[in-house]
Amino acid sequence: MTGNFRSILKLLRPDFYHQMDGHLNPYFTFANYNKIWTVGILVLALTALVPLITVTGIHYQLIQKSVDSELLLRTERLTSNARRAVTFFLEERLNALRFTVNEIEYTQLTNPAHLSDVLRNIKLGFGGLSDLSVISPTGAQVAYAGPYNIEGKNYSDQHWFIECRKNNYYVSEIFRGYRNVPHIIIAVKSFRADNTFFILRATLETERLIQTVISYETGKHADIFLVNRAGIIQTPSKHHGSIFEKMALLPALKYSPRTQTIMASDGQGQKIVGYAFISTPIADTPFILMVIKQKEGMMGVWEDLFSSISWFVALCVMAILIVVTITCTFMVNKMFLADKAKAETLALVEQNNQLASVGQLAAGVAHEINNPLALINETAGYIKDLFTIAETYHQDDELMENIDSILEAVERCGRITGQLLGFARKFDIKIENINLKEIISDILLFHNKEAEYRNIKVNVDMPEGNIEIESDRGKLQQILLNLVNNAFQAMNEGCRLDIIAKRKGLDSVVITICDNGCGMPEDTLPKIFEPFFSTKERGVGTGLGLAITSGLIKKLHGDISVKSKQDEGTTFTITLPIHTKEELRDNENSLGGR
Amino acid sequence: MKILLVDDEKKFAIMLSKRLALRGIDVDVVFTGEDAVKNTQINRYDVAVLDVKMPGIGGIKLKRKLIDLNPEMKIIFLTGHGSESDFKIGSAEAACYLSKPLHIDMLIKILHKVVE
Repeated sequence: MTGNFRSILKLLRPDFYHQMDGHLNPYFTFANYNKIWTVGILVLALTALVPLITVTGIHYQLIQKSVDSELLLRTERLTSNARRAVTFFLEERLNALRFTVNEIEYTQLTNPAHLSDVLRNIKLGFGGLSDLSVISPTGAQVAYAGPYNIEGKNYSDQHWFIECRKNNYYVSEIFRGYRNVPHIIIAVKSFRADNTFFILRATLETERLIQTVISYETGKHADIFLVNRAGIIQTPSKHHGSIFEKMALLPALKYSPRTQTIMASDGQGQKIVGYAFISTPIADTPFILMVIKQKEGMMGVWEDLFSSISWFVALCVMAILIVVTITCTFMVNKMFLADKAKAETLALVEQNNQLASVGQLAAGVAHEINNPLALINETAGYIKDLFTIAETYHQDDELMENIDSILEAVERCGRITGQLLGFARKFDIKIENINLKEIISDILLFHNKEAEYRNIKVNVDMPEGNIEIESDRGKLQQILLNLVNNAFQAMNEGCRLDIIAKRKGLDSVVITICDNGCGMPEDTLPKIFEPFFSTKERGVGTGLGLAITSGLIKKLHGDISVKSKQDEGTTFTITLPIHTKEELRDNENSLGGR
Repeated sequence: MKILLVDDEKKFAIMLSKRLALRGIDVDVVFTGEDAVKNTQINRYDVAVLDVKMPGIGGIKLKRKLIDLNPEMKIIFLTGHGSESDFKIGSAEAACYLSKPLHIDMLIKILHKVVE
């Protein structure tokens, strides 16, 4: 499972994720593609996401503001309607009392039987009244009609009596009074013919008022009730306390003749508060109508909308991030591959330059060394001749041995200078038609005896038959000879060498030289085409063979690659053009004319 | 077989001539092109072994002069260098082209071959 995951992850990883080839690093234009990738994704994502998120934020604010103002407006309308109903309820009953005192004589009103008739008629006409009483200027109750036995009471020290005497009309808050039942009293002052006054007082049924208020309640999140100006609750409230309790967390209410709405918050969240001071055209009242809505509860629709918008924005953000990541990865990868190709070319040019410089140096050194070397050769040879041919001196085996080792050393030096000169010569070419089968057979002739002796199987395979190419015979021989020599040096007894040549497309031929010899360690592979690099023992290899081979192949517009595993073998693959390009032919002509 | 050996590297030329003499070859040694011309005017050589690069008259020019004097004479070039152009010219102009250091037996073999 983990293996599968890893292989998928490896597939998704772009080329630049893997560590760059160490030797190519100096040739890259940009040092760190992972950083470019990260910065690219960040910049692109920010460019796309910042406007989206900003616009969404502004939009959200606007919607919230408009929702707030809509909620305030609706609350104000509700408060205003309820206020009109409560005001009308109180005004209607005050007017009923006013009509009664103006229409009916004081003497008739003080007649209990008549007062009972009046109470009955008012109840029939308006309803909502429970008793009536007539009070004299001294505060004594003169007549009473109603269910409570409170006749003969004196109200001269009562607040309502003092207020009514002063202001002609009075509306009380809800209180318990002598009868110990919550009630409201309304009172009207009137004058008799002798200019003395009396007060007609009525008790209102609180239930009717409560029902009037509650009838405006809409939904479970709204609470509508009356408080007095000290904040004591007058009609039942769902969330803000019981009757006669102080309203919980009352916002400071400023007096206003108009309906007001405000936003307030307590421990339970934001609230929309609408309030109106109840005042009839005849008399002021102690009531304030309160409408309190819990904002959270009212935001349901808006929250659904917000949630949809949020999901949509989140999906957009995801999509943008995915597209940005894929695009950025693709672009940076393309850039990396282009840069890598450039770096490889630069490295190759650099290597070719190095080879050319080494070539020049090699030619100079070889030339300078060859003359003294020739002298050593001839001198040592002459000494040997003196012993062997002229017999001027007696045979001395030890001396002979030493001279032979001088001659051997000279021969080895000669081989090195020869190779150095060959290396310098690699830039000149001569094109002719070459039969691949022939040239491979020629090369293998050198190794026939060795292969037989060491029991090495050599197999040449050309599955598509013989191939003819246009190339430089000498260079191609040198290339193949070098590679076959290397293979023979790497193989032990009983090993096998395969040489396979086949066409690749219309224009190329691929020659594979594959041995199952000792192979090379993987870390040496990038270096084997560098001059003076050798895996052979010190003094055995010059380190120039493969550098020259690679240079020659490049000169013939070909390509060489190597695969090798320690103890398993090495495969060199050469690709050569079948037809030689014009520039090579031109090159040849110019040489010919030199 | 009589040969003329021309090389400005005196010690090399002397040693080589001694070795050739030991192998029964009649060798005259000179160190400049001018002396080579003089000797050819006097003697009839079968083969001239010439260094390509010499002060004064160079190997290529010398070869032409010597051929003028003795058209039958075969020429072998020697060189310490080995550039492609040297090789081309050398191969075109001479019977054989050898680079230093030499293998004496190979030189003897080539001399015999050239004379035949």
